[in-house]
Amino acid sequence: MRNSRRDIFKFAGGAVAGALFTPAPWRLITDTALWSENWPGIPRPARGEIRAKFTNCALCPAGCAVRARCVGEQPVSLAGVGGGLCPFGLTAHHLPYHPARLRQGPIGEATAAVGKHGKEAIAVLDLNPGRTVSWTYRRAMASVKGLYLAPESQPVAYDLPAAKTVLSIGAALLDGWGTPANVSAARRNFRLIQAEPTESRTAMLADEWIPIAPGGESAFAQSVPGLAFAKDLSVVIGDAPEIPEINRRIGAFGKTVFARPEAPVPDSWKGAAAVTALDDVPDHSIGVLLIDESSAVSYIPWHRIQRKLVRENPLVVTFAATRGGYARYAQYALPTAVYPEVSGDVAPAVDCVHPAFRISVPLVAPVVTGVANPADFVAALAGLPATDSLRERADAIHKTGKGVVVTYADGKETPVKDLAADAFWKSLNAGAAWTWADAAPRPPAAGRSTVHPAEALESAADLPLVAIGGPQTPGLVSPLMTKLYQESNLRLAPNRVALHPDDARAAKLANGAHATLQTLTGKCAVEVTIDPAVPPGAVQVGSSPGIQDVCGPAARAKVVRA
Amino acid sequence: VKLRGTIVFLIGVLAALGAGWAGFPRLIYQTHQQPVDFSHQAHADKAGAKCDDCHAFRADGTFAGVPTLDKCAGCHAAAMGSTVAEKNFIDRYVTPGREPQWLVYARQPENVYFSHITHIKRGNLKCERCHGNQGSSNALPPYQQDRISGYSRDIWGHAGRPAMTMDACVACHRQSHLEHSCLDCHK
Repeated sequence: MRNSRRDIFKFAGGAVAGALFTPAPWRLITDTALWSENWPGIPRPARGEIRAKFTNCALCPAGCAVRARCVGEQPVSLAGVGGGLCPFGLTAHHLPYHPARLRQGPIGEATAAVGKHGKEAIAVLDLNPGRTVSWTYRRAMASVKGLYLAPESQPVAYDLPAAKTVLSIGAALLDGWGTPANVSAARRNFRLIQAEPTESRTAMLADEWIPIAPGGESAFAQSVPGLAFAKDLSVVIGDAPEIPEINRRIGAFGKTVFARPEAPVPDSWKGAAAVTALDDVPDHSIGVLLIDESSAVSYIPWHRIQRKLVRENPLVVTFAATRGGYARYAQYALPTAVYPEVSGDVAPAVDCVHPAFRISVPLVAPVVTGVANPADFVAALAGLPATDSLRERADAIHKTGKGVVVTYADGKETPVKDLAADAFWKSLNAGAAWTWADAAPRPPAAGRSTVHPAEALESAADLPLVAIGGPQTPGLVSPLMTKLYQESNLRLAPNRVALHPDDARAAKLANGAHATLQTLTGKCAVEVTIDPAVPPGAVQVGSSPGIQDVCGPAARAKVVRA
Repeated sequence: VKLRGTIVFLIGVLAALGAGWAGFPRLIYQTHQQPVDFSHQAHADKAGAKCDDCHAFRADGTFAGVPTLDKCAGCHAAAMGSTVAEKNFIDRYVTPGREPQWLVYARQPENVYFSHITHIKRGNLKCERCHGNQGSSNALPPYQQDRISGYSRDIWGHAGRPAMTMDACVACHRQSHLEHSCLDCHK
């Protein structure tokens, strides 16, 4: 019997029909799906022992206590201890792997260039002052007769639990201003009056929202003494230049406003250079500027810095995690380690009136090799001996015998006097915090605001909009978080501006359009968000360094199609 | 001619059924032996060991899973008996300090989350409910690995032993009225 082609097709048809009644095709579908989950390049979660590590978040001076769930040595999730974490803190374990991270820089060349320029007219600009590394900079600058610059020379701290009525003029009090857990705990005990042009998240949660004209913060602050609730005020919070004087007049100094406390330092450090505000530096006097923006909590517009540099051949070296900040202007941008891969203490928080010392303990080994350590760079420049300054400071704190150590793993408080120096150091390196709640807070020095008033409004007739500051965003944010909050319009992205629909229509701008933000200072590429919550005649601006370089608070501006 | 066509078709059906049910399972799995000839029964009978003596929960509630060499070496630093299996284990692993690369039958795909402590302490399930008589077996069964997906046969389907499959999980959850959502088990 001879098989025909028809027989082959019939056999194949039968085989296909029969195969459908076996596990084979269905298994192949499932197996192929499972196989595709394990293709090379697809990230796979680490496997290993699951345990908890504790640290303190170093993204801002709030320094929230963090419990990290680790698989093996890899942190896989972060959570707050005894309170929440902000969305940026929750995803901070992604930061070492950030695609925008600066990964290499000419460290040797930069060292040689600084050496060539000489140590005269040298300055360090520290954008996260109050840390132990800040003291290293100050000691180094004292040694070479240089300047230690910081955004504020006399920072203050606010005692919110002692306040009954709080007036916030444009401060994002309930949206990242202080330590989230502390502010939330204190919130139920004070009445909050929020004065600002937009109904921000803080305004929505305040007891009273007073809408003010865009750019009208200073004018409103000047009118505060005459307002009906002025006599009830415990403290006024905000960036307007008039606020320190108002706080002094309402008697807040020494009651709810204090000098920002610092943990003790070794006696040998006390000859360190003083903190100098940038405005106090004569123009065109800095020849070599070293900028530590590795964990910056604020940004100074470049034109204000540039004014202080010598006209001929200034040298700027910046220590940065990304290229987005001063790296655009510096001759040398050197990469640094980022939280949570670097060990360092956290600067005092704006809402903590007692000294505290918290170490941000590394959770991961450095992901990028060959990063610069700004403290070592500056110390070597000044010839300071290489020492473990964190340990020296911990020993100085231990020597006082004051305060308690709070260990987050068990929630216990242990008096420092009951601990040996090594045990104290070990606790700090396990993420514990030292606090000295019995220390009497000091009233603040009669300082002045370092906030710059807006440019003269009348000088900008062709700039029809007034800028409103947007929420501050850390320099490095997890890509996952930016995707969530930007796509959901939960927060204005750093490179965006928000316009009222009428203003957008007048400028022929659609939602998501690429545009140029123009001010008296300069211009910057932005993307547009149309938001009816923005008052007409105003533009709410994001917090990217590019925008801050050209657009300060209350600046006149216009947005045009790119 | 029509009958002949039907017969050819049926031959095709039968061939596929035979290949699919008998040949395919043999082809799809690759069999591996465990690195150590281990007897749960010997440990239970002679040493009186219970499951959680070696497969313990840590202080924070996480499950330690297969014990590490430290745990084994605690008793087997030197030979306790005269079996070849024990001698080989000591020579190959304990003395050189080398961790045995155990093949875990129950290892789930990456998209699955399973909490032992929830099932044991809250659900009061016995180990045998999912692991069968593994704890009293005299020899470890061969580890059958799916050639395509790379996972153990035990998490897929019937293998002559209680399967730790999604269907088995769903059936048990359904029976206990604990069938809440995909995210109960899936990441």
